[in-house]
Amino acid sequence: MDSSFKSALPAATSSIAQHAASIREERLLLLLSIFVGVISGLLVVSFRMAIEWLTVLLQGSLPAPHQARLLEVPAIAGIFIALLVRFVFPAARGSGVNQTKAALYIHNGYISTRTVLGKFLLSAFAIGSGYSLGPEDPSLQIGAGVASLISRRFGLSRARLRLFAPIGAAAGLAAAFNAPISAILFVIEEVIGNWSAAVLGSVVLSAVSAVVVARWFWGAEPMFRIPVVNLVDPRELMAYAVLGVIGGIASLVFTKALGWLRPLLRRQPANWQLLHPPMAGFLVGCIGYFGLPQIMGAGYETIDQAMHGQFALKLLLLLALFKIIATTLSFSSGTPGGMFAPTLFIGAMLGAAVGAFEHIYFPHFSGPIGSYALVGMGVLFAAFLRAPLTSVFMVLEVSGNYSIIIPVILSNTIAYLLSRALQPVPVFEIFTHQDGLYLPSMEERREESNLHLEDAMQPITAPVLQGSDTLPSAAGAYSQYAESPAPAVLVHCTDGLWYAATRAEMAAILTGSAPQSESAPAAPAEPAAGAGPDPNAILEQRLGSERTPVLFPDLPLASALPHFRRWPLLPVTNRAVRGALEGTVSLEDVLKRYQQR
Amino acid sequence: MATEIGDNAIARRSLVVRDALSLLTISLITGLLFACTLFLFRSFSTHRAELAQRWSDRGRRALLTNRPQEAIADLHAALLYSPATREYELLLAQALGQAGRTEESYNYFLGLHETAPGDGDINLALARLESAKGDRDQAVEYYRAAIYGTWSQGGGVERRAAVRTELARYLIVQHDFQTARLELLIAGGNTSDSYERDMNFGHLFEEAQDLRDAAAYYQKAIATRPDDTQALENAGRVAYALADYTTAHKLLDRAAALRTRERSPQAAADASIARNAERLLELNPSLSLPPGQRVARILTLRAIAKKRLDACTQRTGVQPSAALQAIAARWTGPDATSNAATLLRDPVRQDAALKLAFDTERELESQCGPASGDDALLLRLAQPQKEGAASHG
Repeated sequence: MDSSFKSALPAATSSIAQHAASIREERLLLLLSIFVGVISGLLVVSFRMAIEWLTVLLQGSLPAPHQARLLEVPAIAGIFIALLVRFVFPAARGSGVNQTKAALYIHNGYISTRTVLGKFLLSAFAIGSGYSLGPEDPSLQIGAGVASLISRRFGLSRARLRLFAPIGAAAGLAAAFNAPISAILFVIEEVIGNWSAAVLGSVVLSAVSAVVVARWFWGAEPMFRIPVVNLVDPRELMAYAVLGVIGGIASLVFTKALGWLRPLLRRQPANWQLLHPPMAGFLVGCIGYFGLPQIMGAGYETIDQAMHGQFALKLLLLLALFKIIATTLSFSSGTPGGMFAPTLFIGAMLGAAVGAFEHIYFPHFSGPIGSYALVGMGVLFAAFLRAPLTSVFMVLEVSGNYSIIIPVILSNTIAYLLSRALQPVPVFEIFTHQDGLYLPSMEERREESNLHLEDAMQPITAPVLQGSDTLPSAAGAYSQYAESPAPAVLVHCTDGLWYAATRAEMAAILTGSAPQSESAPAAPAEPAAGAGPDPNAILEQRLGSERTPVLFPDLPLASALPHFRRWPLLPVTNRAVRGALEGTVSLEDVLKRYQQR
Repeated sequence: MATEIGDNAIARRSLVVRDALSLLTISLITGLLFACTLFLFRSFSTHRAELAQRWSDRGRRALLTNRPQEAIADLHAALLYSPATREYELLLAQALGQAGRTEESYNYFLGLHETAPGDGDINLALARLESAKGDRDQAVEYYRAAIYGTWSQGGGVERRAAVRTELARYLIVQHDFQTARLELLIAGGNTSDSYERDMNFGHLFEEAQDLRDAAAYYQKAIATRPDDTQALENAGRVAYALADYTTAHKLLDRAAALRTRERSPQAAADASIARNAERLLELNPSLSLPPGQRVARILTLRAIAKKRLDACTQRTGVQPSAALQAIAARWTGPDATSNAATLLRDPVRQDAALKLAFDTERELESQCGPASGDDALLLRLAQPQKEGAASHG
């Protein structure tokens, strides 16, 4: 057997094996996404059951003010939570969003089984005993943990392992919210940071599977019973704009409170930190004991009541204020649990308060209070969690009503912009910095403006020759550019494409001293070296078949970089007229443009 | 080379087997997890259903004993454990309404209406709330939706007739008598015969100013209970208003006799109207009377009117109006002086004499105060017959 064939064989078989492995992983990714969705859905259903069971068991079936257990239960539960977080499940603290992002960007998609277990048990225990936290973010991490575990068992490559965390996160969140679109958007907005075709299909599959499972158990009803929501009068939009402003300010207060208390408590000695959860539980219990038991737990039923206009204006404002306090205490103490439900709660109360105010003072053009509560939820979601797209879709998905779209967009946009202006660093980023991590900012990543070729493109200063010219004629034309400082010459070929030659290459071609380009066909008319150019030879024939790549002004600037290894200068052409030159870019132009950023 | 290709094939086969086994394992784990979750979920659901039942029973009791605030809390708890249970939601909405939280109750019912737009109970509740809010069109719309809606609790025909009756009552309050009459006619036809139905509908038709139908229902009530004084009185009164004095006299006379036997103070009032009816029968110059008798009655009526005119004009301090002076001037003409023979010969003159008497009484009513005795009866004869009787025709 030929020795070269023998040496090429292992490389070929290795390439085939790699290709086969890639196909296997691609297929597995889709199949496993469904399993991730189903298992995450089942776990999230169990998680919700655990929370509700514990709530009844620990707080009673109808918690009311002045029940002693409202004080006792969270405080005692806090002791167990503190000990378990400290000694058994240290990675279970926090909401779960940042932990999932850390798994994606730092730990190659790894989330330990212990973390998932800890998150499940401790979050359920904390929420069930009345801490002002929500189950959605832990569900997100539980889903990501399931995905991590499954992908590890299947021995997938590191790149695939990393992709699996967001797939599971979407499944967990979708099952918790019973809203697949919002979950997918949130994962893209807040975890991945951009639209990635590689992962989108799997994210959708897992989210849908999880929602199917959740609905199989809980039914297809949305999370909240949505009353009739509509925009009664266009003037009502002014009230929605005010709601946007209030939401922006409330999110600032909430973020500042968390940003102040969390690091303050984390600076305490480790043993002192054991006291934080019971103390936070006791304080939250005090709020419940002395009149506002609605702020305890996730608070979905209170959101429901606010949406149906069952609270007076003052009570709504009190609930919003004390929910901010209770959530700040609960979360900052290191108790595992999420921020989504409290955010929705505060938003709903503020929205309902604006609606109630309008009902009192402008009854002739005010719509149902439920509309305001619903929009309020989206407002705080956009402003506090900084997920504007998710917030809009969440409201639409939760309400199943498209007629509310204009108020939602208006209020959310105002709240989001105000929040960004007042608090440039989003809350999740503040937490990562407090934890000493530097995860990519999703907000910045979303808004990253990519440079294009047109940003580095320069006017044409290089000599331009026609490929159809004979060599003497081309030499004559070229001699006119003798003083031009341009490092290259452009040749416009008859097929409409371009050829960029260095000065030396062009001089050699014109004098007939250069060897033909590698790709040029073996020309029988090739003159002998030193015989001078053939007067009838066409310039294009001497260039061979190779041409500069076809580039357009709107292409990414980075797309030009690989070509500078071969070409000294790249012509940028018009998309409408084949071969029409718009300008040129050189490596120097591209680098200069990148350095200007 | 062959070994290498063979190794690759073996490696691929083992990978396929491993993947298949892994998928089988994960499928089994999923199935097991599903079974566990299902088992827990069933237990969880049963427990929640028990809690919901307990709280809803408490709420229902509180509602029945008129403690709406307690009912609201209890029913909220019931709905917490059994969300979207229509029965609890309806109870809660009712409790909110009972507690005076009309707006909340309205919102609640609107939410329920979204999910079940054809539900009779919900539409009826919304109709009542809209009528309380004063939105007539919306209220009528919901009433009609309730009438044509579904009644899941059964007894649809009776419930629809009851809603229609309620709508008629609402329309009467709104002074839309024509529509109310139509609704009452349909509702009456859809309600089974009974004394109570007849009395109720008689009264409602009376309120809707449809005296003829009211009389018909009262007559049915009398047919069921001939000695029912209330039915006799009502029927007599309506007959009197319809100028059917013979019937009025007969019914009211009977009613008065029964009342006297019962020693009821109402007896005197019944007897008074019966006497009036009798006197009206004596005075009524009906065209069906023989000419001589009719002329005699016209002359009597003219004399009654003349007497009151003289009394009024002779009263000191009364400044006769231009209209009264014109009436007085007419009393010097042939209509006032023609005798029985003249009138017998000329029916046109009969009507003119009668008109003079009626016009005089009408004018004196505004100039000299309310009439009494025969003057009042003359005035009654002068009035056109009741709208109810007229419009019905």
